[in-house]
Amino acid sequence: MNKLVLLVALPLITAFLLPVINRVSEFAGRWTGPLILLITSALGISLWSQLGNNAVAIELGGFRPPLGIALYADQMAILFAVGTSLGTLLLWPNVGEDRVRQSTLALILAASGSGLALSGDLFNIYVFYELVAVVSYGLIATQASSGSYAATLRYLVVSSFGAAMALIGIALVYQATGTLNLAQLAQLAPTRLNNTQGLAAFVLMLIGFGVKAELFPVNTWVPEVYATAPTRISGLLAGVVSKLALLIIVRLLVLVFHQPEALTVMLVLGIMGVITGELAAWRARDFKRMIAFSSIGQLGIMFIAFSIPGKAGIFAGLAVALHHLVVKPALFLLAERWSGSLSKLAGAAKASPLAAALFILLALSLIGVPPLPGFWAKLLVLVELSEQAQPLYYLGAFVILAGAALEANYLFRVASRFYHTEEGQTAPAAHRMPELATASLLGAALVASVFVLTPLSAQIEGIATQAADAAQYIQTVNPEALP
Amino acid sequence: MDTGLIIYTAAFGLILIGSTGIVLSTHLLRIIFGIALLEAGANLLLLLATFREGSSAPIIVDGRIPAAMADPVPQALVLTAIVIGVGILALALSLALRVQRAYGTLDIREVRQRLEQDIADEAGIELSSSSDAPHAVVSRQDGPA
Amino acid sequence: MRRLSSALFLLGLGLLIAAIFQTMEFASVAPIAGQAINAVAAEQVGAANFVTSVVLAYRGFDTLLELTILFTAATAGGLVLGKPRAGASHDPDSGFILRAGADLFFPLLLVVGLYIILHGHLTPGGGFQGGVILASAFFIPILARPSTTMDHRRISMIEGFAGASFILIGLLAMLGGKEFLTPLLARGELGALLSAGSLPLLYIAVGLKVGSELAGLLAQLSETEASD
Repeated sequence: MNKLVLLVALPLITAFLLPVINRVSEFAGRWTGPLILLITSALGISLWSQLGNNAVAIELGGFRPPLGIALYADQMAILFAVGTSLGTLLLWPNVGEDRVRQSTLALILAASGSGLALSGDLFNIYVFYELVAVVSYGLIATQASSGSYAATLRYLVVSSFGAAMALIGIALVYQATGTLNLAQLAQLAPTRLNNTQGLAAFVLMLIGFGVKAELFPVNTWVPEVYATAPTRISGLLAGVVSKLALLIIVRLLVLVFHQPEALTVMLVLGIMGVITGELAAWRARDFKRMIAFSSIGQLGIMFIAFSIPGKAGIFAGLAVALHHLVVKPALFLLAERWSGSLSKLAGAAKASPLAAALFILLALSLIGVPPLPGFWAKLLVLVELSEQAQPLYYLGAFVILAGAALEANYLFRVASRFYHTEEGQTAPAAHRMPELATASLLGAALVASVFVLTPLSAQIEGIATQAADAAQYIQTVNPEALP
Repeated sequence: MDTGLIIYTAAFGLILIGSTGIVLSTHLLRIIFGIALLEAGANLLLLLATFREGSSAPIIVDGRIPAAMADPVPQALVLTAIVIGVGILALALSLALRVQRAYGTLDIREVRQRLEQDIADEAGIELSSSSDAPHAVVSRQDGPA
Repeated sequence: MRRLSSALFLLGLGLLIAAIFQTMEFASVAPIAGQAINAVAAEQVGAANFVTSVVLAYRGFDTLLELTILFTAATAGGLVLGKPRAGASHDPDSGFILRAGADLFFPLLLVVGLYIILHGHLTPGGGFQGGVILASAFFIPILARPSTTMDHRRISMIEGFAGASFILIGLLAMLGGKEFLTPLLARGELGALLSAGSLPLLYIAVGLKVGSELAGLLAQLSETEASD
């Protein structure tokens, strides 16, 4: 099972050697990247099936935690690790001329995303998180437009501020407990971190890791970056990277920070995120920013879901997260040709009928119309929210419903334009094959999941139960006994 | 005074100065310096997490093992954090160079304005107010999120 | 409006920090990992410098990622900065003092840098610190005489091979049935130059990578178009 580290090491060593390979043969330089990602994804899937329902921990360097760093692979971790590799493969960047550098960055993104999902050490998570950040700066800047440089710089400033806050939080945790291993932190948390210092550390880490998860209020970078970055990169960032950041926060909540105030903070910020995101999407006048704001709203729903204590919250949040993981990249792929003003989209259905139909499918699932999986995910969240005692959770449920109404309004405003031709306006061009194919693949996955909903739901519930089990985590990692 | 207290004050002071620089500055280079200061403060705080007065470096010199050795882990962590900071700073400066070349200014208010203009131009929509008006910057700050 | 919200935000941050300051107890908890490492590092890893054993053995994975961040930043920087400007190699040379100083410094910096890299497991220092000195050794002559351009191809080759060799040493351990990045080779005598197994090799790889990367990045920054 120690082949797990290859999910990180293999794309990484390929990335280092890619410039050299490219000098030897340009054909190899072009196709080595996707090939390695294919191998990595296959390896990940085979490890997943090998793992079954168990979890496994790997001691890197042969040193038992907390001396060394441990990697922890339960079903949720491997799911997201494989998801990152597959996502990067599907949304392989192809902008401009500098292919080698782009391929290098994409490979490092796959490696760092997988590592972020698998890591079991607090500082290791921080370093992986920073790696994902730097890679995304590079990938956004591949657009090579002045707008993308400015947007990347704004993103860099917000993200660096957040990273410094996260580092302060880590310093606080280390000061209170003396260890960085998540399993040992789980053991020490009830006695050492159940106080103001622990809550302060959580808030700081929430701000830090929440930048990528588009948390309110550190999501000011979202509209500019998604509007100026290449559409595939926007799809990767919004679809995959944001979920990875959310995954870390969930792990911290399950293992280390058990205070109810922590959940309240997440709930409040999630509610604010839904309100601001959906309102802004409603007011948006161009396609890319509309779906960017909509993703802020959806991530707000996920934060509300994860703020429900226990396995129920993780189950609901995971359902919404997986659904969004499929829908958002597909929407961004469709945005490739529709990236203009909303008023220019009249008559788009004539030029690309498949794309228009896909958009309607994705919109219906996003709003939450049965029998699509989006309905089931939102229903799960609302049911769990209604079973809570605190009134704030009811506010969350109301906000989600209101958000769905707004979504229906602005998404169908756009959809109706597709089928409505106007005089004297040329429709946008048809979609190219690669984007359309990938988007159709994702749409087909969405439809297929309708038929396997019950076993899929049971599977996700199993993943959530395993993820919520802190005792099993500690037992699997098996750190040295506390002094 | 207690050494630990002095250095803690210094770390928090750096963090506050850096944060103030990032949030309140209008010149891009000052914001980047603010990031550097903030990271320095955070690194210092990490080092002080397990600080013990009177402990010496965790190195065996000439076979002599020091009596009280400092914790080597934060030193390794801060090493990593400093290198990360250097990498990000280098990238930030490269981006600032290109932004300066593209927009001709490093004032973030103007950069933000030009960015909005660029996005609007690319999408083919018109901004709600004229970009020449001096109050345009203020009205745009009240935008969503 | 923006200034008001920024000021409020800073006030909130200041209050948060004051709250932390008040409740935090200094030096209260013993570092679990640190104390354990100090106790066993000499026999387990064999490096006299315990910080090196943490950086390369116990937390070698973090170091690999740190290298990758630097590599990514250099790659992204290269992407952003683009091609060097046409007149870069025709900039005027610096004055006599700078040129003579650069010529004098080059061998000194080279020796100091290599010394710090090679003795990383015995004294404070190591790959990163020595690598930065090596980078300046190769960059200062370019500052003094801009007509000597940096060979970016060679730099990317050194970068790539050094980074790949770090991972390869880690993977070699896996071939022997152990975990990734387990220290290999004989531990040797504590305090000798040839000790701590594969750690000096790792630090050499780190030093070469960091040196070539930073030199390349600095050269690109200086060659890129200046604003008018």
